[in-house]
Amino acid sequence: MKKRIIYSLFILTLWGCKEKYISPVISPNTGYLVVEGIINSGAGETNITLSRTVALSSNAINYEGGAKVNVEGDDNSLYPLSEISKGHYTVAKLNLNATKKYRINIATLDGKKYLSDFASVKSNPAIDSINYKTETQGLQFYVDTHDPTNNTKYYQWDYTETWEFHSTYRTYLKYKIVNNSKGQQYSVVFSDSTRFSWDMGQYTCWKTENSSSILTGTTATMSSDIIHLPIHSIPPASWKLGVLYSINVRQYSLSKGRYEFLQRMKKNTEGTGSIFDAQPSELSGNIHCTTSSEPVIGYIDVCPVQEKRIFVNPYQVPDWAYWLYKPDCPEIAVTNNSDSIQIKAITLLPTNYKDINPMTGAIISFFAAPPDCVDCRLRGTNIKPTFWK
Amino acid sequence: MASKSFAQSDTTSKISLDVNKVSLNSLVEKIESQTYFHFYYDSISLGEVSITYQTTPKKINTALAEIFTPLGIQYYFDHQNNIFLTKSKLLGLSINDNFFTGIKQTTLHTIKDLAFEAEEIGNIQEALVDKKVYEIGDKSLTGTQNIIALAGFIKDNKTGEPVGGASVYIDKPRIGVTTDQYGFYSISLPKGRHILNIQSIGMRDVKRQIVLYSNGNMDVDLQGSIMSLKRVVISSQKISNVRGTQMGVQKLDIKTVKQVPVVFGEADILRVVTTLPGVKTVGEASTGLNVRGGSSDQNLILFNDATIYNPAHFFGMFSAFNPELINSVELYKASIPANYGGRLSSVLDITSREGNKKEFTGSAGIGLLTSRVNVEGPLVKDKSSFILGGRTTYSNWLFNYLPEDYKNGRADFYDLNLIVNHQIDKNNTLYFTGYISNDHFNLNSDTAYGYGNKNLSVKWKHIYTTKLNSLITVGNDNYNYAINSQKLPLSAYQLSFSINQSYFKAHFNYNINSKHSIDYGVNSIYYSLNPGNYTPLGAQSLIKPDIIPTEQALESALYASEHYTITSALKLDAGIRFSVFNVLGPQSINEYPAGIPRTEENILRSVNYTSGAVIKTYGGPEYRLALRYVIDETFSLKASYNTQRQYIHSLSNTTAMAPTDVWKLSDPNIKPQIGDQISFGLYKNLKSNTIETSLEVYYKNIENYLDYKSGAKLVMNHHIETDVIGTKGKAYGVEFLVKKLSGKLNGWISYTWSRILLRMNDPTAGEIINKGEFYPGNYDKPNDVTLIANYRFSHRFSISMNGNYSTGRPITLPIGLFSYGGSMRTLYADRNAYRIPDYFRTDFSMNIEGNHKVNQVFHNSWSIGVYNLTGRKNPYSIYYVSENGMVNGYKLSIFGNAIPYINLNIKFK
Repeated sequence: MKKRIIYSLFILTLWGCKEKYISPVISPNTGYLVVEGIINSGAGETNITLSRTVALSSNAINYEGGAKVNVEGDDNSLYPLSEISKGHYTVAKLNLNATKKYRINIATLDGKKYLSDFASVKSNPAIDSINYKTETQGLQFYVDTHDPTNNTKYYQWDYTETWEFHSTYRTYLKYKIVNNSKGQQYSVVFSDSTRFSWDMGQYTCWKTENSSSILTGTTATMSSDIIHLPIHSIPPASWKLGVLYSINVRQYSLSKGRYEFLQRMKKNTEGTGSIFDAQPSELSGNIHCTTSSEPVIGYIDVCPVQEKRIFVNPYQVPDWAYWLYKPDCPEIAVTNNSDSIQIKAITLLPTNYKDINPMTGAIISFFAAPPDCVDCRLRGTNIKPTFWK
Repeated sequence: MASKSFAQSDTTSKISLDVNKVSLNSLVEKIESQTYFHFYYDSISLGEVSITYQTTPKKINTALAEIFTPLGIQYYFDHQNNIFLTKSKLLGLSINDNFFTGIKQTTLHTIKDLAFEAEEIGNIQEALVDKKVYEIGDKSLTGTQNIIALAGFIKDNKTGEPVGGASVYIDKPRIGVTTDQYGFYSISLPKGRHILNIQSIGMRDVKRQIVLYSNGNMDVDLQGSIMSLKRVVISSQKISNVRGTQMGVQKLDIKTVKQVPVVFGEADILRVVTTLPGVKTVGEASTGLNVRGGSSDQNLILFNDATIYNPAHFFGMFSAFNPELINSVELYKASIPANYGGRLSSVLDITSREGNKKEFTGSAGIGLLTSRVNVEGPLVKDKSSFILGGRTTYSNWLFNYLPEDYKNGRADFYDLNLIVNHQIDKNNTLYFTGYISNDHFNLNSDTAYGYGNKNLSVKWKHIYTTKLNSLITVGNDNYNYAINSQKLPLSAYQLSFSINQSYFKAHFNYNINSKHSIDYGVNSIYYSLNPGNYTPLGAQSLIKPDIIPTEQALESALYASEHYTITSALKLDAGIRFSVFNVLGPQSINEYPAGIPRTEENILRSVNYTSGAVIKTYGGPEYRLALRYVIDETFSLKASYNTQRQYIHSLSNTTAMAPTDVWKLSDPNIKPQIGDQISFGLYKNLKSNTIETSLEVYYKNIENYLDYKSGAKLVMNHHIETDVIGTKGKAYGVEFLVKKLSGKLNGWISYTWSRILLRMNDPTAGEIINKGEFYPGNYDKPNDVTLIANYRFSHRFSISMNGNYSTGRPITLPIGLFSYGGSMRTLYADRNAYRIPDYFRTDFSMNIEGNHKVNQVFHNSWSIGVYNLTGRKNPYSIYYVSENGMVNGYKLSIFGNAIPYINLNIKFK
């Protein structure tokens, strides 16, 4: 055992050498336009997001509002996008002609104009399935796709995951605050007159997250256009599969140019940190500023977007250790008087009574727990998504 | 030897002296100037003496008695006007020659330590041989030949191994040569009587009285100091530093290498080479050398003439050379001899030892990560020997204690050497070298890596006459790597790369006379390079096999160089090497229109060449000039001019030398790299040659240095020329070195100021880097200071310390952020516009030798030390990564703490 300790110390000294680094360099003012999105030639929405590059010290997105964004065809067709929130531009159901070429045309508020290169409409096979497997690092989701014509070759995916979750404790109680001559007086009362029904609105919620890494795949080196790639994994102790989990995967087919653009971005921003890192390189896409020579980040392609959603409940993955998720939810007993509440439970939320006066029905003492364990709205929304089962 | 007016001195000759606190040496000079006597003595065994003595003309024997008796020094006269001085009394003077009849016989006084006893006896025997006069050649020849050629081998009398790099010289007039790695020397001397001096590191200085009548041979056995720690004689080097014509040459013997503390205590040649001025490395996880602004592929790394393509183990942390088998390491960074070529920056010539020709011995070592065993011995006593050495690692335990992420990591390596030599007869010797190294590792992923070197060579040294000898070498070098991934059955693959070269070298050395000697020869290398095989792994894999056709080429060179001693002060080495590179079929070559960027879309056509067709021929002269001017015995000036051509390039867009780097032969689309370098140096030795100082300045131009387009794909690329761009480079710098290799305190301090700048401003190449301005290369570290110090407290205990400071290497840092794909991401602009923080490290080690009894079977030694004593977290890299939607910057250090180590070495026989 002693040996083991010595060895572990040795390893720590060898490898534990990654530290946070704050660059002393004051980054120049860039403010280049960033264009994200793809022209959806199918029936779904086309979403284009405009933002500006920001200083290294800032981690907030600087959306570009008020721009005029149009999809233009080489047949002089024009499809304007409308801004639904700052920097987010959208248009529904373009249903573009697959024999034509399209590009994006942007005019920003500062009077600059941007054009992407014309891109032809790429076909995009439907997703065959989204499936999963338990592996040591968690529940691993795979996407399966195939193109019988062997034409697609370059793919990109992104996904949105949504899961239902429940609070650790149901709450039957709520705080009641009365202002009187002694100041604020706290007490707990039943939140519902029937006394025995809990507050559903604080118990069942949903949480939604979008993918945050670039997911691409290619069959260019393979003999047939068949994809079976891992796209996402949930670690064993995650709360995501407590009740019901759903993942919606969108698939884009890419030109070689966009594929390489995304690969380079991925290498620059996700694939760093090893001893043998490739050096970061400049990004150049297929969008150009027509009024000045400033760089623009983005690469616009045209394809119909394919989507597929699946649901997973815990019973479908019995060998998966989701029960390892143990939220830190201690429950304490508190006497129902203002002083006790203010001293012991002011940062907690009440759950249920402990002792009740059988004659009056008044609560003598109650249990309280941290808010996250009681009110699910603190971690998600209690509005049920429209697609939910 | 000036003639004196009287013919014969005798013990009654008179001398007059007036000296005050002078050394023995100057006293002897004074006496010799007044008489015909010569003194012989071993200044080391007599020790430091200070003599004060005055006399009016007095008989010499009376004077000597008065001087030496109080000092406890014995003196003896012989009949040849020689006077011998010894501390102890002579014994057993029963040698065949009758020179010493006048010397009294005495018995050896008791010496407690056996080792000392052996040493004393050695002294005396050696002293006796010193006095013998060797007659060389045929006395009866009364020709007009005034310059006589003398040749032979210098060997270690204990093991029979050749002593390379030994100085063989006479003092009056000053004529000297050094032995080659086979211990061979050839010297032209005037007819007549001389005292031939032989000096070598770790060996006792030896003198031979010779009388030359005609050309002849003389082999000399040197005696090693049993306790090399007591004193290391480095006379041969300290003189050659000032007197040699070569500049920018650094030689390290293995003893020096072993003293330097290194991580995990593995004596590491390449790590020590990086402490020399002008040599840099990008970081601690890389053994790739950057010599005078050159990239790591611009170094020719030779192990007994075999080219080692990947000299690293354990993803770059150790060098792949077994320190127990190495004799010496020589780094040429300025005046590269004409027999070497094919790389721009440097030649690192690593030579192995030869096995013990007298008895079987071995050694074993145990360290934290590796263990090694070496066995050597005679095959035919005194004629042939072998040495077999192997190292392996048990570093897998490292991974078991790593965080979960690395738990499945594995790393293994081994290397094996077999070196055999056989002396057929006096004029013919054969040398065989076999080398294999192999590495396997996977870190936290499902991807496994493996790479290995395989080298074989046979050399034949033939001596035609004492003036002409030759060295013929044939061999084969192989380097390969393979990567495989089996995680996803549909896309399981194996990727392999290999390079194979067969070579023939013929080298001749012709010693015309004492002023001229010529080296000439021919080299030829046939390359066969497999740039990549990408194949499916397993039945389910849908991977389409992709095989890039092999490339083949022939690189040949003819060279000649002349070493011309113009005057005793001015010496010139002038060499020319004419190299030719033939790109050979079968191959298909893409053609591109001129003047527009080379891209896949712009390929005009692809031309197929049949097997054996000469597709393209490159070639040209390479000049190797070196000039030395001696101002006085301890001070010289040197200048050199050098051109080089390189036809094989490694392609890597990683900063460190990665095991997956591919090599590419020049072809019609990839031009050879051409470099030329001019350098100038000042060399001054201080304190009777115990301290060497040098100052060298250089300026270097590099043409067609390959850099990469943004997002270049280098692996499995059928048209690699579309992803690389030829840049121009310039490198310049000043190197300052102070070196002390003798005494209790030894070591060196070097300071280098240097730059390497690259430029890509050709708009037709498709991409201009950093607006076409000069940008620093990846290993541009302007200031670099290194200190290596060793202090010997006793024969058995010494401590070593080293320190290194350098400017942080250039790095491309983000200039801003943007949001894309659900995450903030970094924006990059100019290449290498920033630097990582400066580097500073100190290491410490203690070397403890077991007892030194000569006759025991096992000798143990321990080395205990601490790497990175101050625990400074030297950044290896700084990187920014998008994690969970946010950008975080990290500083990565390879060795972020003080790392203690312990190593045990056992020698047995």
